Amino acid sequence: MLAPAAVLAILLAPLPGPTVAVEDTMRTEVPEVLVRAPRVTLDEILARVARGEARRDSLLRDESFLATLRVVRAAHGDHPPELVAESVSRVYRARPHRVRTLVLRRWEAKPGKRKSGDMDMNFDASMDETIVNFAFRPGARDQFRYAIVGRDLVGGHLVYRIRFEPRSLLDPAAPHGLVWVDTNEFVIVRQEVGFDHPPAPPLISGVDRMVIEREFVDGMWMLHRVLLRLEFGLPLPKVGRGLDMSMQFDQIAVNRGIPDSVFTAPLVKR
Amino acid sequence: MSAGANGATNAGGNDAASAGVRRAARALALLAALAMAAPCAAQVPPAPAPPDTAFGRYLETLSDSTDRYFGIAAEPVDTVGLDTVLASHGATTHPFGFTVMPAFSFTRVDGPVPGVSASISGSDDPMHPGFGTLGGKLAYATGPNDWMGYGRYHERLFLGVHAFDVQLWAGRATAFMNRDRDSRYLDTWRAFVWGGDGAHYLRHDGFAAALEHDSGPWRATLGFRDVLESPRDVSASWNLLGRRLVVPFNLAAARGRTHELALDADARWHLVRGEAQGWLSNAGLGSDFDYRRVRVAAGAELPLGRTLALVPQAAYGRLRGDALPQQAFYLGGGPTLRSLPRDDRGGTTLALARVDAVLAKDLLSLAHVEDSGALPLRLGVFAAAGAVRGPDPYGGGDADGDWPRRAAWRSELGASLQYDTALLENGSFLRWSVAWAVGPGAGRPRVSVVLSRALDLLRAPAQ
Repeated sequence: MLAPAAVLAILLAPLPGPTVAVEDTMRTEVPEVLVRAPRVTLDEILARVARGEARRDSLLRDESFLATLRVVRAAHGDHPPELVAESVSRVYRARPHRVRTLVLRRWEAKPGKRKSGDMDMNFDASMDETIVNFAFRPGARDQFRYAIVGRDLVGGHLVYRIRFEPRSLLDPAAPHGLVWVDTNEFVIVRQEVGFDHPPAPPLISGVDRMVIEREFVDGMWMLHRVLLRLEFGLPLPKVGRGLDMSMQFDQIAVNRGIPDSVFTAPLVKR
Repeated sequence: MSAGANGATNAGGNDAASAGVRRAARALALLAALAMAAPCAAQVPPAPAPPDTAFGRYLETLSDSTDRYFGIAAEPVDTVGLDTVLASHGATTHPFGFTVMPAFSFTRVDGPVPGVSASISGSDDPMHPGFGTLGGKLAYATGPNDWMGYGRYHERLFLGVHAFDVQLWAGRATAFMNRDRDSRYLDTWRAFVWGGDGAHYLRHDGFAAALEHDSGPWRATLGFRDVLESPRDVSASWNLLGRRLVVPFNLAAARGRTHELALDADARWHLVRGEAQGWLSNAGLGSDFDYRRVRVAAGAELPLGRTLALVPQAAYGRLRGDALPQQAFYLGGGPTLRSLPRDDRGGTTLALARVDAVLAKDLLSLAHVEDSGALPLRLGVFAAAGAVRGPDPYGGGDADGDWPRRAAWRSELGASLQYDTALLENGSFLRWSVAWAVGPGAGRPRVSVVLSRALDLLRAPAQ
C-alpha cells in the first residue's frame, strides 16, 4: 500500500519539459542559552600542553621503531625529484639512557668515496620529543608569542590550532609555527614550522616547509615523521640547490618491555 | 556522464514522455522507501562514526596534503629486505667518541701557532658509563719557541633532575688582557693577514675549575682558578701583507700567581637579560694579588612591531684593590665604543650604555630581490656613550672613583650592516660598523668588522 505522500508525489509529478526549482529552506529557532562557564585562557591551554607533554614523557618506559631517513633532490627545471639516499634502522630505547640502533638498509643513488655509514642516523637515548614540543616547554614560554587561530571539533576531540612566533626579531634560527593540540590529552599531534629568516646562511638559505606529525600508538602520541624542504645558498654536490628530507618512524611499539640483551648483545651479522 | 547532463540532453527529445515517467517512478520508489524506513530510523538512529575514526580521518586529511607536497620523500618505507643488520650503533659498539682536529692561531706575541686538538667523550650507556668529555690541545708557538697546551674536562652531573656542569682546565695558554671580551674568530686572520691585531695578551699557567647550573630562566657559575699570570712580548712583527702592526707593542701584565674565586649569574625574562659577575682574589686565598672586581650588565631586545628591533644595553664595572692591567676595564672596539680602536682606554671603573636599532627584514628582501636567502644583510643604526675612570694601564688616568668624570664621557653615532650566520657561532653575525664620535674628541669616522651577537655586552647565552 502506498503512503499518502507517495500518492501526492505521483499526482504532482512534473510534466515533460523544463522546470523551475523553488528554493525551500528549512527554518528553525532555538532558545538562546547563556553560557556561564569560564572560557579556557590561552595561558591555561599552554600550561596544560606543557603538563600533557610532560605526562606523556613520564609514561614512556621503552620504545622501538623503524626509522627511515630519506634525502630527495628537489625538482628543478625539467628534472623530477630524485631519491638521493635512504637509510633504514631499527631503534630500541629504554630508560634510563639506553639505546641501540641496528642499521638495516643503506642506499645511495651515486655511492661516493665517503664512508658507508655517513647516512646512518645516530639516535641518543632521550625519549623526550623536543622537536615536537620545543616551543611549549615551560622554559621556552617567554621566547615565543602564542595565539589561538582555530578550534575544530572532530569526532569528540576538540583540536586547538595554536600559532607561535619568536619574540626575537634578531635571532635568525628562531622558528615560527602552527601546532594542532588534541585537548583530550593536551598533546601536540601535528606541527608545521617555518623560518622568517634563513636559519644558517649562506649554507641554508631557506626552509620552505617543515612538517612534524605524530601518530597514536599503544595509547601514546608518538613522533611519526618529520619532513622538510631546504634551499641552499650554493649548489651542493649530488643534491643541487634544494632537497627534501624526511625522517619516518614506523612499526612503533611502546612500553612492551625490551630485554636487556637487546642493548648488550654483540652484533650478529647475517 | 552525469545524470544531470543526461537529463538536459533528453529534455526536449522524443523520449521526453518516457523520461518523465521514469522520474516519477523513481520519486515514487524513493518516497516509498523513506516512508517505510522512517519508523525504523526513529527507533534506531544511524550510528555516528566512532570519534577516534573521525579524528583519525581529520589527521589523515592533513597528512595527505603533506604527502602530495613532499612526494617521494613522504612515501612509506619499503620493508622488503630489512632482515639483514648492516651495522650497530649504541653502547656495545661505540663506547667512546674520539675527535681530532688541526688548530691554528696567530697573534703578535706568539706568531703562528700550529697545533692539534683532540677530545674523547663517553657514552650514555650504563654498561659503559659516560665519563664526560676530555679534551686537550697541544700547539707550538713559533714566535717565542714555546710549547703551549692544555687539558680540559667537562662532565654533566645530576642532582635529582637538576643538571650541573663541571668544567676543569689545566695548562698553558695565551689569554686576552681584556677579560670581558672572548671572541677570537676574526683576531687570528686580522693579525695574520694585515697585522690588525689590536688586543693585548698575557700568559696563563695553572688550572681552573667551574661548576655551572643552568635552569633556563637563570644560570649561575661558581669558579676558582690558580694561575700564574705573566707578561708577553711582541715576537712576530710580520704579516702576510707586510703592513706595519696596528699596535706595535703588547701591554705588560703584572706578574704573579692569582688565586681567584669567581661568581657569575645571569637571568632572562622574556627578551630582557641581566648578569652580575664578581671576582675575588686576596692573600686569604693564597694569591699574590688583592682585588675585588664586579661587573653588571643588562640588555633587552625590544621589537617595535615586526619591522624594527631596539636593543638597549648598559654595563658597569668596578675594580677595587690592585689596579692590575689584567683586571682593568677597557673601552674601545667590539661591544663597547666602536669609534675607538680596540681596548684603547682602560681604568678601574667603566660605565657604558648603547642602543642599536636594527631592521628585522634583510635589505635584499626589502628591495624585492628574489632568492636573497643566502645574503641576509640587515641595516642598523646605533648610539652609545661610555667612559672609564681610574689609573689607566697605558699610563696616566685619573683618581680612582665609583663613577667616571663628566669630561671623560665619549659619545658616538653610527650605522651598521650585519650578516646573520650561524656557521661560526649560534646566534652570531658579522657586523660592519661605521661610527662617528660626537662632541669632544670627535674625529674621522671609524670602520670596524666584528663577529658579534645582539646582546654583546652580556656573555653568550647557553646553547
